[in-house]
Amino acid sequence: MKNAKNLFGYDSLAFFGRVNASISHELKNIMAIISETAGLLSDLSEMASTGTPVDPGLLKNSTDSIMEEIQRGFETIRQMNRFSHSVDKPVISTDLIELLNLVCHLCNYLSFSGMLRVTQWVGDPPVVQTCPFQLQAIVYEIIVQHFKNAGPDGQLEVTVQPLHDSGCRIVFSNVFLKDVQVFPDDHLRNAAASIAVIIECDRDENQLELYVPSAIQLVAENDVAIQAIPADGRPSF
Amino acid sequence: METEKKIKLLLVDDEVKFLKAISDRLSLKGFEVTTAENGEGAIQAAKEGGFDVAVLDLQMPGMDGTEVLEILKKKHKFIEIIMLTGHATVDSAIECTKLGAFNYLEKPYDFDKLVEALKEAYHARLQKKFESNTKRMEAIQKLSLSQSPLGLLKSLAKLDDDEK
Repeated sequence: MKNAKNLFGYDSLAFFGRVNASISHELKNIMAIISETAGLLSDLSEMASTGTPVDPGLLKNSTDSIMEEIQRGFETIRQMNRFSHSVDKPVISTDLIELLNLVCHLCNYLSFSGMLRVTQWVGDPPVVQTCPFQLQAIVYEIIVQHFKNAGPDGQLEVTVQPLHDSGCRIVFSNVFLKDVQVFPDDHLRNAAASIAVIIECDRDENQLELYVPSAIQLVAENDVAIQAIPADGRPSF
Repeated sequence: METEKKIKLLLVDDEVKFLKAISDRLSLKGFEVTTAENGEGAIQAAKEGGFDVAVLDLQMPGMDGTEVLEILKKKHKFIEIIMLTGHATVDSAIECTKLGAFNYLEKPYDFDKLVEALKEAYHARLQKKFESNTKRMEAIQKLSLSQSPLGLLKSLAKLDDDEK
């Protein structure tokens, strides 16, 4: 089992940085719209004060736009907050549907992302004991690589399937693997292994699967390495 | 009374609401504004439009701002282009300048500064056109001393500032 500690160093910071950069870009766009629209309202007020007739439709559209962008801003900050709190604890009970929805929201802030859908879940939520931050990073990387190769027209569907008591399978359908020789690469597989997740790839079916154990625990070896093993001690799948 | 010519602007950004807001404001300021939501739309509009200045968002899905900048500068000799970005870096500023961008602004920007930059870009365009036309006229004058009337007409027909 690889030394997982290094994987919680720079790579994690890089992931955190990338996501926050895309969130800040989104917030900048929102602020730019609010700023320009407020400026337009100011220009219209000035016109009205000099007696120039002002189109009431333009006023209404502008105020509606500001209200919509404020809500969009709140939603973006909500996602940012959820993402920031995903590092609060290294291992925690995690609703996989919530996690996938969060990652999909974060991916939507990327300029090159296309249509992304998490299959609706019916019944008790699929909950596993895992490291949400690391799992998010793995899912995010898979989605980013797909859209980098497939382009904004590429569609991706993500489904969660329970595996009785041994955990869950996260299935990425229509993932773009054609002409992509080295994906998932060793780096991603090691990141997955650090939380006892296995990546399986079927290039013929354009399908990629993550096998997530029902629970993991972190153990220290010689006070140096930290590794994740399935909580019941069984080999991963 | 002489009517002041309106500056013809092409605004390109994938954020539709931002595009609408800034387009409305610039129209109130007296600019003649056309908008495009992506690179392909911008190139098509420029082919039909005869724009003085274009404002391009750097980061767009599909064809990004630098690709559009490159194509517009190649196909429209005297158009001036201002780049807008949400994340300015030295490298992207240098790249845009090398490709011929007139100015490079980071969002959020001051609206009055944008208007100032647009007017400066327009004057730079007029100056370039004037200098180019002056050179062509001088060349034609020289030719006219030795050309037939038909040859002279052909040379005059080449005075087209939208084609390289």
